[in-house]
Amino acid sequence: MKPSALIFFLAGCLSVLPLDAAITPEQVLQLPVPAPGKVDFVSEVKPIFEASCTKCHARGKSKGGFKMDNREEALKGGDSGPAIKPGKSAESLLIELVAAFDPDNMMPQKGSKLTPAQISKLRAWIDQGAEWPGSVSFARPAPLNLSRRLPPIPGSPSSAKNPVNGFMDRYFALEKVSKPSLISDRIFARRVYLDLIGMLPTEEELQQFLRERPRVRREKLVEKLLSDSERYAEHWLTFWNDALRNDYRGTGYIDGGRKQITGWLFSALVENKPFDVFVRELVNPGPRSEGFAKGIVWRGVVNASQVAPMQTAQNISQVFMGVNLKCASCHDSFINDWTLADAYGLANVYSEEPLEMFLCDKPTGQKAPLRFIYPQLGNIHSSTNKKERLSELADVITSRENGRLSRTIVNRLWASLMGRGLVEPVDEMENPAWNPDLLDWLAEDLAAHDYNLKHTLMRITTSEAYQLASVNLSDQKESRFVFKGPAVRRLSAEQFRDAVGVLTGAGYPSPASSEFDLSSVRLNSVEAVEARWIWTGTETNQEKTVWFKTELILSGEPDQAGAVSSAGQGYSLYVNGKKVHGENGQRSVQTINLRPHLKAGTNVLLIEASVAAKPDQKPVQGVLFQASGISGGKPWKTATGTGWKWMAKVPADWNKVDQAGLEWDAVVDLGGYNMAPWNIGTRVDAAVSMLPKLGKIRASMVEADPLMVAMGRPNREQVMTSRPSVTTTLQALELTNGETLNQILKRGAELLVKKNQPEQLISGIYVAALGRPPTADEARMVRSFMGEKPGASEIEDFLWSIVMLPEFQLVY
Amino acid sequence: MRNASNWSRRDFLKTAGMGTLAALGAGYPRAVFAEESAPRATADTLIILWMAGGMASTETFDPKRYTPYEKGLDPNKVLSTFPSIDTNVDPIKFSAGLEKLARVMDRGTLIRSYTAGDLGFILHSRHQYQWHTGYAPPQTVAAPHIGSVISRTLGPLNNAVPAFVDIGQRFDVGEGEELKAFHTAGFLGSEYGPFMISNPEQALDSVRPPAGMSPGRFENRAGFYKKLAAQNPIGIHGSDFQKESLIRSMDNAHRLLSSSAAKAFDLSLEPKESYAKYNTGKFGLGCLLARRLTEIGARFIEVTTEYIPFLNWDTHENGHTRLTDIKKQIDSPIAQLVLDLESRGLLNRTLIVVASEFSRDMMMEGKPGKTVKDQVVVPEVINDLKFYGMHRHFTDAGSVLLFGGGVRKGYLHGITAEERPCKTLEKRVVIEDLHATIYRAMGISPKHAYEIEKRPFYVTRDGLGKPITDIIS
Repeated sequence: MKPSALIFFLAGCLSVLPLDAAITPEQVLQLPVPAPGKVDFVSEVKPIFEASCTKCHARGKSKGGFKMDNREEALKGGDSGPAIKPGKSAESLLIELVAAFDPDNMMPQKGSKLTPAQISKLRAWIDQGAEWPGSVSFARPAPLNLSRRLPPIPGSPSSAKNPVNGFMDRYFALEKVSKPSLISDRIFARRVYLDLIGMLPTEEELQQFLRERPRVRREKLVEKLLSDSERYAEHWLTFWNDALRNDYRGTGYIDGGRKQITGWLFSALVENKPFDVFVRELVNPGPRSEGFAKGIVWRGVVNASQVAPMQTAQNISQVFMGVNLKCASCHDSFINDWTLADAYGLANVYSEEPLEMFLCDKPTGQKAPLRFIYPQLGNIHSSTNKKERLSELADVITSRENGRLSRTIVNRLWASLMGRGLVEPVDEMENPAWNPDLLDWLAEDLAAHDYNLKHTLMRITTSEAYQLASVNLSDQKESRFVFKGPAVRRLSAEQFRDAVGVLTGAGYPSPASSEFDLSSVRLNSVEAVEARWIWTGTETNQEKTVWFKTELILSGEPDQAGAVSSAGQGYSLYVNGKKVHGENGQRSVQTINLRPHLKAGTNVLLIEASVAAKPDQKPVQGVLFQASGISGGKPWKTATGTGWKWMAKVPADWNKVDQAGLEWDAVVDLGGYNMAPWNIGTRVDAAVSMLPKLGKIRASMVEADPLMVAMGRPNREQVMTSRPSVTTTLQALELTNGETLNQILKRGAELLVKKNQPEQLISGIYVAALGRPPTADEARMVRSFMGEKPGASEIEDFLWSIVMLPEFQLVY
Repeated sequence: MRNASNWSRRDFLKTAGMGTLAALGAGYPRAVFAEESAPRATADTLIILWMAGGMASTETFDPKRYTPYEKGLDPNKVLSTFPSIDTNVDPIKFSAGLEKLARVMDRGTLIRSYTAGDLGFILHSRHQYQWHTGYAPPQTVAAPHIGSVISRTLGPLNNAVPAFVDIGQRFDVGEGEELKAFHTAGFLGSEYGPFMISNPEQALDSVRPPAGMSPGRFENRAGFYKKLAAQNPIGIHGSDFQKESLIRSMDNAHRLLSSSAAKAFDLSLEPKESYAKYNTGKFGLGCLLARRLTEIGARFIEVTTEYIPFLNWDTHENGHTRLTDIKKQIDSPIAQLVLDLESRGLLNRTLIVVASEFSRDMMMEGKPGKTVKDQVVVPEVINDLKFYGMHRHFTDAGSVLLFGGGVRKGYLHGITAEERPCKTLEKRVVIEDLHATIYRAMGISPKHAYEIEKRPFYVTRDGLGKPITDIIS
């Protein structure tokens, strides 16, 4: 029996009928008589079928094994035998069921019964031979936006510059929209900086941009921003963390029911991994990227529609294929054509054993065959080996023939840059695009360029469409959308926080994960790892801990300073007598922001390392440490090596006693940082590459704080592919009296008050925040508010007012 | 009509409801109305008093045979570790330590047959999630908290009081992330999220100018901002809609932060004698804050004893000793809240619900026939006071207390077994029916739904909730 047949029975309404279903002669007499005259299928029968039958028996659904996509199928019937006997309506099961003699065995099961007039029509139609033109089909239509299609580029001068222009010009002509004017260079710079790297341009960057030749400066800027791998990755991390529901904290981690993909994702963005490879590594993951497919597993029993393989099926369908399988995870969907068997067919690819299908939480005893949601793209054959199944699934999804994968992602990128997709909602890719040629061409263009997402970003941001004046989002909610320019958007929580961080000098101290790795773009001479594993060289088993020491002489207060440390056992780091870090774990690599602890002149760095391991562990003795920073404009670096000293017992008041009186011994060099048994070389590389960024860490790389939550950073329990765009009162409250923002502004003001003359300060803030100097009126207002000699609190309030301006908070 | 509403109208109806205009344009989920029309409301305000961590009903509102502590006790014989006391409704008895609540039983309904969900292995935050949203996690969409549903459906009662106020829970505790997962408006949008006040004594901080900023400076800053924004040249590029929504929200926030409604948040203004009746700790003061906010027009308030794994009601050991203390914390404030609201004429339009995610038992983890993995070791013989108490998680019967807001007075609903397992015998109440009853009082149909991803999301699980008509009609 087909699985779908079973659903029908469980729906509780029909027992298996004898093949030669028959009604009694008395019942025949009770049937409405066939309608007189010739019945027309298209105008008289088809509407009845569509109203009462096809929801369950067509468009890919076949309850009771019965589907009526066409005449042949309809005649053939389902599990209960032929449904229609042409010429014999009284003997046709269809008529028997719609006549509803047996309340437990009638059709339709949902909705209103057929009227006698409708039954009369159907009888007459059957008696007249059940004619059904071949052109009329109730089959599931070929899905939109699935197969590849490369429309020719309109031949026009604007196309030559960027084919997107040609497609849009044709669109504007078709829609009779006179092409709006392009934005100024300053607005363009602000927009494209925020969109591609998530930061506001600095004054210097703006000037540099404006010095380029006008004809090429925008293209050059786009190119420059896209090649800034570091800031690009830090910005797009937010987009992908939302879409892949990756976060540094969240439900599930408590029980080991969830795994981060942070390190993998960030590196994929830094390296600009081709999108097909990116998807392949998520669909058929290795250890670093398996968190996405693993899902979020809560302790206890969960609803059948939320078991981990089903989560994976839903998320893969949504994120990569723009298909909502959520409804179909419980029952055949009422809002689209997806069926329970589609959802389970995909979930089973990820399940160790085929899952029993549950219909709205009731077990059906049935299992769905392995299947990708679009079998026309390819099938999953191997049924026993999960790894092979995943590999096959990855092949199907990333196949060049899958025009949906490329359309879904280019549409997401378009929506991210324009505030609204070519297809909306962005997770329902079976909806038509408002410019199908453009969507299809962008998708093919992406695939033809090695699935390089930066290439598509370049195409879009250098197009005229992107450079049009922005329009009201609310105007775009008209019933029939017409594109007239990018929508005004709000800064994301991360963009807002980063921009405030630049204005005030307050980035985050350190990242939420030790897996962020910029070594592929950053490891120059300053960042190269020089640290070596060191130890005492003598038997130390009598001691609980031993001490290692170095001195660091700085020419000035550090502007920036950080350290990476690791040890065989637990250890503590002391800087100038103060404990700044303690660690229990083995072989962990820690990043520490040293800036608050170092001073100009001589600094004493001490590491107290445990000698003995925990009872069940073998001691692995060694210490590894590297610090670097900038003081007085000069980079410096120190790292464990033979210059370090050690001693067994340091007096409690070691910082006060005469250092010369202490007897330190030379350490022994065990080997390079990559040596066994630690084998943590790549982690050290990653951590060291992040050192120059400590204190300037961006919002995407840290756990959400109350400010970011208020500004719309989501709880990543579900896949999030868009964020709300309108300010709420709760957000405004957080912005007005929230501790987080006020502390940042306060510290920022304290720094600014030391450094600047009021005039410079006002125009400096305006340029940094808004990309323009203040108008004369504004300058006057600010001066009169702040007074001649503004103190920190005036500057703080000025800063607050600036960052609350719509001109600051919006992308326009 | 309560005085507070008039007062609020005078002061605050100048602005649109908090964010309603913003919400209209923001693509927030729209309501899909079920065939049933909204019932007539019997309450304007809902106060949930949350006994976080699993309140043992046999030690509180459903006492069974009392077995005093002695060395060598057989744990199988212990059902209650406190004697019973009379309430002012015959024959309802409470557990000793709840004397003040016993004297207000005639104002409310006691449900003894609340049955928590079968979620397998116990995880408090998961059961709490289910209690607060009606749905067990995980879900395919972010389910909204009952406070958010009420906030979205009914809006604030007084525009100067956030429609959903949550008092007493911190998130930097064990299971903090799991707690966050349901302290949210979910797909309804953050406009309807909780206004969190983790410590009622510092409630004022959340509704006044930032710490260290004088009112004068605060006004000055607001005035300067308004001037700067008014002549800001963004008009030439920007969208009026977005700009207005931002400025209006800033205005609303400023109004709230400088309004006299903020006084309600200031517990130091409460007369000493009255303050003392509530001052049993953070929870008691939360009840006081709830009362003060209700007086000026709150829509939804939750006050929690705070969930912290293994603390408060989450007794994995020393259950008896600890409950003596916890009962002290809740008895006087809850009773006083009922009496104060009554004397102010507010109780008949305010529904108070005292509830917990499940009950506890000395022996049984889960429920009969569905026992789950034990999390607590119970010795064969009790030789230490620390083993004397209800330390396992029992889901087959729990107590819910309701006062005011149209609920039946002096009524007992549901019967539980007198011997272990003290399971529900009659009139079982599940979460969707309890929610349906609460929503009925608030004038919301259990089939009321919001559209998300084209599907209806019902305020009670799948629209199945049935109001308990014995309790509220």
